[in-house]
Amino acid sequence: MTQEYIDAPPPVNLGNLSTEVGNAPPVARDVTHERILNAREAEPHNWITYYGAYDGQRYSLLDQINTENVKRLAPAWVFQAGSQGLHAGPSTYAFEAAPLIVDGVMFASGWDGFVWAIDAKTGRLLWQYKHAIPFDVSLCCGNVNRGVAVAEGKVFVATLNAHVIALDAESGDKIWDTVHGDVRAGESATVAPLVVKDKVIVGSSGGEFGSRGHLDAYDIETGERVWRRYMVPKPGEPGSETWPDDGEAWQRGGGNCWVTGTYDPELNLLYWGTGNPAPDFDGEVREGDNLFTDSVVAVDLDSGEIQWHYQFTPHDLWDYDSNMESILFEQDGRKLLAHFDKNGYFFVLDRTNGELVRVTPFVDRITWGEIDAEGNVTPRIYPEKEGEEVHFYPGPAGAKEWTHAAYSQRTELFYCPVQNTGATIARRRREFKEGMPYWGAHVIVDTEGMSGAVTAYSASTSEEVWRWETNGLPVCASVLATAGDLVFVGLPSGELTALDARTGEHLWEFQCGSGHHSSPTTYSIDGRQYIAVPVGWGAWTEGFLPGLMGGAHGSSIFVFALPEE
Amino acid sequence: MARAREKQLSQVVSELGLDKQNSGTIGRLLNHGGLGQVQEGSDGRMSIQVHIPEDELTYSPSIIVMPHAGELEIEFFNDDTNTHCAMVPSNGDYQWIWLPNFSTGKVTVTLDGPGYYWYGSNVGNDEGRGLTGAIVVMGDVPEEAKLDRPPQPRP
Repeated sequence: MTQEYIDAPPPVNLGNLSTEVGNAPPVARDVTHERILNAREAEPHNWITYYGAYDGQRYSLLDQINTENVKRLAPAWVFQAGSQGLHAGPSTYAFEAAPLIVDGVMFASGWDGFVWAIDAKTGRLLWQYKHAIPFDVSLCCGNVNRGVAVAEGKVFVATLNAHVIALDAESGDKIWDTVHGDVRAGESATVAPLVVKDKVIVGSSGGEFGSRGHLDAYDIETGERVWRRYMVPKPGEPGSETWPDDGEAWQRGGGNCWVTGTYDPELNLLYWGTGNPAPDFDGEVREGDNLFTDSVVAVDLDSGEIQWHYQFTPHDLWDYDSNMESILFEQDGRKLLAHFDKNGYFFVLDRTNGELVRVTPFVDRITWGEIDAEGNVTPRIYPEKEGEEVHFYPGPAGAKEWTHAAYSQRTELFYCPVQNTGATIARRRREFKEGMPYWGAHVIVDTEGMSGAVTAYSASTSEEVWRWETNGLPVCASVLATAGDLVFVGLPSGELTALDARTGEHLWEFQCGSGHHSSPTTYSIDGRQYIAVPVGWGAWTEGFLPGLMGGAHGSSIFVFALPEE
Repeated sequence: MARAREKQLSQVVSELGLDKQNSGTIGRLLNHGGLGQVQEGSDGRMSIQVHIPEDELTYSPSIIVMPHAGELEIEFFNDDTNTHCAMVPSNGDYQWIWLPNFSTGKVTVTLDGPGYYWYGSNVGNDEGRGLTGAIVVMGDVPEEAKLDRPPQPRP
């Protein structure tokens, strides 16, 4: 007998079965390049680009919350996300974003292709976009995304399957979708895009799979690629002399661009950090300095040409990516750039030409090698003989991971999240095969004997001014500095902490229930200042803190404010 | 050789009762409900029919294979004497459909690149009991998205 079927109810978007409003007010329509250029000074109530301003300082002029009243800070609302069904990296998803705020609307990205618009006053979900991410996408460091960009009525996000998409900021509907990388080559995308003028700048991820790193500019309106700059040169191109002549190493050389860069509008230069060479720990197959890996490259915005570079760890054998931020600041009329590298050294460069101004260590234990005052690098301990273990500090997550330092214009201090952790590594050569992890080693990161701090350094001398030591755990989250003379940072143990920016005195904390691996931001609505922090432990935990592999996963944005009078 | 190993695996799975409910284990091992390749129309639109057989708590086929990225229409038929549903990943949002006993309904999803994607019946523990399916997208990314380097060895 033939079965007779009734009609099932028609399918719906899963978001329709929630309290999602479905649209957001048109706040992003007139977010222009000019507004982003003047973001900090002209509209301190907003946080409209990844670092709050193009200079990467992660410093806000908001001062309602200050050293006197911060002890009264309390949760205003919490946004909970969670997950549905089986998704990639079910044990490694983490909340790494820096929420953007435009005139009362928060735009944030999560793991696994989520983008949310949220009422920044109440926490109510306005719309949600969910990109379908393959379960089997290649991810070295977890199911993560570091944030979105907003401009010209659009929200831009990079997806784990290496697409760049533009969404309508009012509806969350997709406007354009450009394929940015090759998932079969181990590429992905986790970076928060940066909008500058008429371009969306997006870097690659995939260094642990032997991809060839690149930085790309896309047209903000159409999504068409304007330029691509590879960070490992082909034979004959500038820098190719730092790779083996007769080998294939350049083809798998790494140098990915997975953290957002900064921008100097007067010089029209992007300052973008590049990742480790591949294979991470087996240098014998890639003799030479391996440009432009582990560098900051100054890239002309219009052409994509590299104007200068500075390599922090030539011929890296320790996985010391240099993706982390270059903070732009001025001193005595000189245009400078500050960079805390994974290798444990704090560099100050002249950002007009890449000349080294100062270099000083910023973590207590550095055993991999030494960098002298002139910038000369002397390796001391590194994986060399097949199967022979060596132990060195800092471990491959670095003395500071990708999470960001901050700079206060009031105190003229830099605030750095410090990880003091070592690792044991032995070279284990393997053949390159596309899409397979390509480390050339086995790696065991320490689970004991680690420590961490937030440390303040003078902008004029690079000397340490104060240090706030944690409860024995590395600091794996970004720092936020405010004109209230406060420094905010989240800890792996779950506390969001406020310190006195001038002394390092611990003033306040709140236990968020999961470790922090994100970038807090601040904003105000109707004169009330808020502190927003995504909370969700995970990602490359085995690399930066395996001692907390069992830490509670979270998936929330906590927002704090002073009690209303 | 590989096909012989797969046949042997299927046989052992069946002998152990892992491809049925409440036999070898409590539910049914995921993705042991067969494999189906989609039909592709002249307009490039892909489609497939998927059944939920009585008392099997599985999508049949439980593995859907698309030859390339694009739009897929799945026509579900619930032949079971219980109500289930399907939550299927798609760009923009999951597509979700009720599937009452002896009902049929169509879901259209867009998947934009190679890899495989899980879908499931997200009620009770249907997903754990066996109502979890995979959509495999074959093919490559567009040429312009590939790295500028010679062809590389693969596993």
